[in-house]
Amino acid sequence: MIETIPVAHVLREAVATPYRNLVTRPTGAAVRGRIETVLAASACRTAVLDFSEVDLLDLSCADEVVAKLLRVLSAQLDRFVALRGLHEDLWEAIDAVLARQDLAVVVVRDDGPALLGSVPDDVREAFQGLGATGPTDAAGLAGHLGWPEPRAAAALSALVTLRLASQGPAGTTRLPLA
Amino acid sequence: MSRIVDVPAQFDERSFDQFAAQVPAWPPGERLLVDARGVQWASPWALLGLLTAAQAITESGGERPLLAVPQADDVRSYWARSAFFQHAAPLVEFVGKVPRLKAAHHADTLLEITPVRASEDVHGVVGRIQEGAARILTGELGLEPKATMGFAMALSEACQNIIEHAGTGGWVAVQAYHFRRRLGRRVAVIAVSDAGMGFRRSLEATQARRFGDRWRDGTALEAALIQGVSRFRDPGRGQGLAGIKRYLARWQGKLGIRSGTARIAIVPPWDDDVPLAEHLPYFPGTQLQITIPAQDAPAP
Repeated sequence: MIETIPVAHVLREAVATPYRNLVTRPTGAAVRGRIETVLAASACRTAVLDFSEVDLLDLSCADEVVAKLLRVLSAQLDRFVALRGLHEDLWEAIDAVLARQDLAVVVVRDDGPALLGSVPDDVREAFQGLGATGPTDAAGLAGHLGWPEPRAAAALSALVTLRLASQGPAGTTRLPLA
Repeated sequence: MSRIVDVPAQFDERSFDQFAAQVPAWPPGERLLVDARGVQWASPWALLGLLTAAQAITESGGERPLLAVPQADDVRSYWARSAFFQHAAPLVEFVGKVPRLKAAHHADTLLEITPVRASEDVHGVVGRIQEGAARILTGELGLEPKATMGFAMALSEACQNIIEHAGTGGWVAVQAYHFRRRLGRRVAVIAVSDAGMGFRRSLEATQARRFGDRWRDGTALEAALIQGVSRFRDPGRGQGLAGIKRYLARWQGKLGIRSGTARIAIVPPWDDDVPLAEHLPYFPGTQLQITIPAQDAPAP
């Protein structure tokens, strides 16, 4: 089960504004607070923040809504958050904010999942490899990427630690929305 | 007794120091008569600077300054359309004829002078400029459509600096005009000013010890703009100016920030400003200007 949270809708609830602009820290904090409330009440392990009706996102608000939410959820081992509906400007704003803090998040796109933010190169390659192979273990990923198995195992472990992938059945690792 | 302060005929961020130098101490010990009769042109930065001076005097309990309004009809009209007289009225006593014109939409005025006191004001400011910004930036300045969003982001972050750091309210204005003297092209300009504590005091608690004897307005500006430090220990802070710098790099824009006795600038190739000017005449608060020029070649 996946909980989809329309961020523009949350914005309208949080702030009395006719615009679809996520700007300012207080607005971001208010939106994040509402998202956290929804997540706390949800039985779903995975949540998707849908930005498709958001026109503008400034860096302060991106930090409050996305970066701080990821930091809060990093302590909750069974929770995954992904984003979708990002146009290019939103993508850039969130990427800049996450990269500065060594954070990363999964973005759901029509052409498959993508990573936004900052991760080591091996972790990024492993993420892409996992997207291509589907749920697999270290041996499977190593075969796909042409890596030694310990290198693949370390990258998969890092993906799980960073909340970018989850443990699947029989020792496999999978992308949370795959 | 009043102290007469002459306003330069061409009043912009460069000649602003001439204006500031005429007030030896803040708050001034005597009533100011600000003589703007000879002004032929004033940039948004300069108009906000006048308001900021009056605001600083009012907030310190000083006597409302006198303001001799420009004699030239077109200058007075422009100041009225920019909402300058409307916002100056509670802060100064006018000398001379003030047009009864209300702030009005004009093709070059993307946002008339607007107070910024709370985050709600930033929502209003950003929302109001989006349509006009698209018209100016893509239609007149030849920027790609994506430049509009970055412009709004830069505006939002600049305004939030007031709310987060000034400790008092401020002002914002956004205009487009032909920048004949330095560039020979049209520009879009965001100007923001406040009468607050300035960068040095805002950062003092977290940064001053690191700089020791070198801690002053200039080093505070460098710490904020070049090193991206913030007065907050939160690692997500200090990104606003960094984001503005990235936007300016893409569109060959200029950023200038004046605070206290220093002015720092991100200087594009088309301008000859100095990166850092120190030991300037003191002026209250912080003044910031973002200038985006018309593109004469495809952006990188």
